[in-house]
Parts: sequence; C-alpha cells; structure tokens
Amino acid sequence: MGKKETRVRMSLQTLRVLEAFLENPTEQLAGAEVHQRCGIASGTLYPILLRLESAGWFVSQWESIDPSSAGRPRRRLYRLTSTGLRHASEVFASFNRGVLA
Amino acid sequence: MSQRNERSKHAALNSATHWLIHQAAHRAPETLSSRLEEEWLADLESRSTALSALRFAVGCCWASLVIVNEYPRGRVPAASPVAAGSAGGPASGFFTPTERNFRYFSLRSATLFLIAGLHAALFYGLITTLSHTPSIAVPPRLQNQPVAPVPRAKDLPPVAGPDLKDWTIHVPKPVIDVPKMDIDVDVPGEPTDKPNEVISEPGLPPVTKSHLVQRLAGGPGTGFPETAEFYPSHSIRLAEEGISTVQVCVDTRGRLTTEPTTVKGSGIERLDEAALKLARAGSGHYRATTEDGQPVNSCYAFGVRFQLRK
Repeated sequence: MGKKETRVRMSLQTLRVLEAFLENPTEQLAGAEVHQRCGIASGTLYPILLRLESAGWFVSQWESIDPSSAGRPRRRLYRLTSTGLRHASEVFASFNRGVLA
Repeated sequence: MSQRNERSKHAALNSATHWLIHQAAHRAPETLSSRLEEEWLADLESRSTALSALRFAVGCCWASLVIVNEYPRGRVPAASPVAAGSAGGPASGFFTPTERNFRYFSLRSATLFLIAGLHAALFYGLITTLSHTPSIAVPPRLQNQPVAPVPRAKDLPPVAGPDLKDWTIHVPKPVIDVPKMDIDVDVPGEPTDKPNEVISEPGLPPVTKSHLVQRLAGGPGTGFPETAEFYPSHSIRLAEEGISTVQVCVDTRGRLTTEPTTVKGSGIERLDEAALKLARAGSGHYRATTEDGQPVNSCYAFGVRFQLRK
C-alpha cells in the first residue's frame, strides 16, 4: 500500500461542499443536509462526497439509529477528517493570497 | 375522486423515483451499489414534493454514471463503515484515484493531442496546399549547341518538277492606234538663218523664238456643288471656319481622274474632310484646263472656304 493520494481537483461545487463542512468541522452531515446548505444537485453532490472520501478528506458512517423505531431509513453521515480540515483550510487560505492550492 | 387521482399519481411518481434510484445504484460499482442505494433512499425522505424527489432520482442516475467513470468496475473495494468519532484516516479500502486520474489524464491528453494534431495538419495544409505562391518564371539557360551545317544550294538534290527552261511565253505585240495630234513642242534649237530667228543682242546668249501656249487653268465649273451643303453641322455649332486647299486631277470632260487630296489644311480636320467630299461630289462639274483653247488633262488646286454668314 503506497501513500494515499490526497490531492483533489478543486471546483466551485467542491469548494461549496467544503465550505458547508467548515462551518462546523466536527459536525456530521448527510447528503441531504449538504444539498440543503449548498443547493448542489444530487448528480454533482454524491460524486464529490465520494471523491473527498477517497482522498481522505472525509469519513463516512451510517447513522446510529433504529430505522423501525425512527420510522425512516438510516442516513450516511460525512465528517471532515483532520487531514481534510487542514487541506480545506489551506485551500481557503490560498484564496486570501490569491493563489488556489 | 380527485384525491384518488392525486394519490395514484403520487404513488406512481414514488414508485418511479424508487425504481430510478434502484437502477442508478445498480449501475454503480458493486461494492458501492448497496451503500449508495440505501444512502440515496434515506436522503430521498428529505424531499418534500414528488417532483423534487423525481429530480433527486434523476440526479442519482447521473451521479452513478460519474462514479462508474471515476471508479472503474473491479477496482473499488467495499466501503467499510468507520466508527463515529474515530480520528483515523479515510474510509479504508476505497480506490486510490492515482491510477484513475492517470487514466483519465491520459485519455484527456490523447484527445488534446488529437485536436492539436488536427489543427497542426490543417495549418500545414493551409500553408502548403491552399496558399497561393506566385510562380517565378525562370528562363532556360542559354546553351551553345553545335548545329548541323546547312547544305548549300549546289549540294541540294534536284527538285523534281517541270523544267522551267522549256517554257516560252509568247506575248502578242499590241497594236496601238495613236491619234494624230498637232502638238507644238518648244524645243530649243540651234540658231539658224531662218526668218523666225531672233537675233540676240551682243553679249547675250542667242534667244530662239518660242511658241507660247495659252494655258487656262481649270477649276470648279457650272453645276459644282455649293460649299454650304457640305458644311459640317458640328462645325457650324462650334463656329469653325477656315480654308482648305484641295488638289484635283481632272480630265478633259471635267471628271476626276484620281482621288482628290488636301494640299493645305484649314487646321480643322472636319473642314478638310468636308472639302474632300465636296471635291469628290463635284466630279464632272470641273472646268478642264485648256491649252490654246483645247481641254487637257491636268491637276490643279483650289481653295474651299468655309465661312459662316454673319
């Protein structure tokens, strides 16, 4: 196993997703909540989430609820990792320097 | 009744949405298929309207296509859930995008090179084939080449044909009847002792008595056309005037024997042309030159005056 590739191709939609998570880096968000915050369509949103997860910026897990008692299916929750938080912070900090990381 | 219809429509849309999500998840890589289907169905619950849910399902179809493109089949291990709150790395077992990016980049590079190559070929074609370069005519180099000597006339073979030496042309001697005319010719002769001899004064050369011929020059006679009839209309408008001197050769009957010519022009070509026309028109109306009262062929000049009346 080599070192995992952590570089992610930045796009406007990716930045908006990262921005949504940077509001509260410890918060776990489902895809539907990211959609509500960013307004990104599902066709674009889920590939971005998977891409960032593959790069190690996000981790995901199933919501720890009982679907029968909750009356709804469990959701997949995403959360920024420390690596993702550092990279995302660098990306947004580079905007202040006028350079995109 | 309407509520039933609404319900049936809602149920139809709902089933269609679920079917689309199921198909989209099924199209995704196997290791992600069940996860995505469950995730999308859970997120579908947050959609308030059926139309919004349908849009979400269509988006999931598109997302599955993108995911399949980015995560080729057989390269994506199953995504294992990560415990909440764990500070570990990313979800283990996911495909590293290095190779994928490389392939994608390679495909994109190939397309880029193909487009660049097409442009280069088109540019080359424009420069070489389609562009017009004027050809420069280069004259052939002068070369001195020995030429075979031309055979002289005596070396030439005899030309077959009739012998021209045998041809004899017999021309009958013309018989010309010359009318007898009494022509006085002034021929200077030797001084004789004849009565008509004139004795010259001493010191002067002897003068012989000559016969003086009374010559009366001809000219336009009766019935000669009027000059006004031949006055060019253009010259009248431009008030052109002048005198053109024309020479004519007339026979004894006053007819032209040769084409009249302009001896001295008026300075206006139109008037000179008109004078020549007048001279031609007057053929037969010329007064012949007389010598001792006898009309003779002669050439003389006369002036044609073109003058406008004031």
